[in-house]
Amino acid sequence: MGHIIKVNQVQKKFQQTTALDQISFHVSEGEIFGMLGPSGAGKTTMIKLMTGELGKTAGDLEVLGKNPDAFHRSSYKAQIGVLSDNSALYDRLSVLDNLKLFCKLYEKPLSRIDEVLELVNMWGEQKKIVSKLSKGMRQRVLLAKSFIHQPKLLFLDEPTSALDPGNTAHIHRSLRKLNEEGTTIFLNTHDMQEAADLCDRVAFLHQGKIQELDRPSALRYKYSSHAFHITTFAEEELVIENTPDNAAEVAQLIADGAVKEMHTDNPTLGDIFLNITGKELV
Amino acid sequence: MNVNRISAIFEKDLKDFTKNSMLFFMPLLPIILAVFYSRMGDGEDLPLFVIYLIVGVTYSAVTAGFMMMMMAEEREKNTLRGLTLSPASFIEIIIGKSLVTTLLTFASLIIALLIMGIGPLLNAKAMIGLIILFFFFLFLGIGVGLFVKTVGMTTAYMMPLMFLFGFTPMVESLQFEEGSMVLKIFATFPISQMIKLGEDGSWSHIGIVSLWTLGAIAFTYICYIRTRKDS
Ligand SMILES: Nc1ncnc2c1ncn2[C@@H]1O[C@H](COP(=O)(O)OP(=O)(O)O)[C@@H](O)[C@H]1O
Ligand SMILES: [Mg+2]
Repeated sequence: MGHIIKVNQVQKKFQQTTALDQISFHVSEGEIFGMLGPSGAGKTTMIKLMTGELGKTAGDLEVLGKNPDAFHRSSYKAQIGVLSDNSALYDRLSVLDNLKLFCKLYEKPLSRIDEVLELVNMWGEQKKIVSKLSKGMRQRVLLAKSFIHQPKLLFLDEPTSALDPGNTAHIHRSLRKLNEEGTTIFLNTHDMQEAADLCDRVAFLHQGKIQELDRPSALRYKYSSHAFHITTFAEEELVIENTPDNAAEVAQLIADGAVKEMHTDNPTLGDIFLNITGKELV
Repeated sequence: MNVNRISAIFEKDLKDFTKNSMLFFMPLLPIILAVFYSRMGDGEDLPLFVIYLIVGVTYSAVTAGFMMMMMAEEREKNTLRGLTLSPASFIEIIIGKSLVTTLLTFASLIIALLIMGIGPLLNAKAMIGLIILFFFFLFLGIGVGLFVKTVGMTTAYMMPLMFLFGFTPMVESLQFEEGSMVLKIFATFPISQMIKLGEDGSWSHIGIVSLWTLGAIAFTYICYIRTRKDS
């Protein structure tokens, strides 16, 4: 499969601040790629470089086979969808009227409106005025808007931050379905659980640099201490290295019927982030 | 240029206008003034400067005022970004957004002029001048709307602009000395030039109004470039 995003040694400076530095990564077609980092890490800036809202300071950037000179063209914009941290709807208009506008701007049939509302579980709410919607419902309409034109590539900037678990679950379900239908997703988040649940690969962004990049399971394995954590019925906590030398000791505990619980050490992405950067993900 | 996209924005703005009570009063203002002045005139023809006062009020309150508020609101609420990230070009967005304003401006102006007596403006030169003058106010409104960051701030700009460019004919009644600098400056303002056009019919006045319009276009362009930079 081809690479839909290619980023090589990209740097972005604002006057004094270097928001992004030596950023390199590729995103494959059909992937959900996550950028995980605390507030101020440079996540939003990275998306804005790819949507053409900001220009890079240095490096090479290619999205959908186009270089940044083409990012302002209609043909490029028609292929990308964006849900940013401050995307907005027209408050005085209904959900339907808002989506109608975007259907027409992207020259898609109005039948798409039902399809996208269905996908974000908002079908039946078309007539509601946007100002009367809860924050979670509004976010789901914004998500529906972001892919109403069936973009090849969808940029999402912290789509579930400050949402309750119910709405977050709705959004995650919609994103998985969209991805199954072939949409490549670039997701910014500071929620390690979200990254672990949704992403095929994640990049850890800290102070404008990528610190790690891999599949969540590979990262967990890499940063695991590779030990068995055993709790016995005597409420003893044992940590035993996962090596051939220790096989007999573990087998004996099992044979004795002493093992109440046993699991391998499995750090969360948050633990790993803390381990690498010394910073919490908030 | 894509007509579907322009009409989509127009439809959206039209619906939005019918739900925005804040804007409803503005197109009525020139009509109310027209009624008021024509009562004072005792059925005689109103002087040209009164007619242009109403034109100035319509263009500054409805044309510039609407554009300002609509652009500022799109920016304040960040909906403009949704439009610029769509395939719509900035020109398409501007045209789409100007259509509601254009419609309301001319509806309001024509009613007001019918009330006052449209006679003095029924000639080709006056019509051409009025159209160029319309674009001056339209671009002035777009520029200010892009320049300010909130709808609230538009009122701060609206008042001085209304007085300078809308109520220009009133300056004469402020009792400045004959030939004073202030009067000379105001004489070059677009509405003053339109009144002169009505008096002597010289194309030079249309030329000066056109220069003002070009200035307003340049101002809008600078404001547009600025909004792109600070995103
Ligand atoms: N327009 C801007 N002008 C100056 N500095 C900026 C601008 N946008 C972002 N920054 C800075 O760049 C850094 C990264 O910001 P951002 O990309 O918003 O991070 P994140 O989205 O991960 O929270 C921050 O230090 C921020 O202050
Ligand atoms: Mg951000």
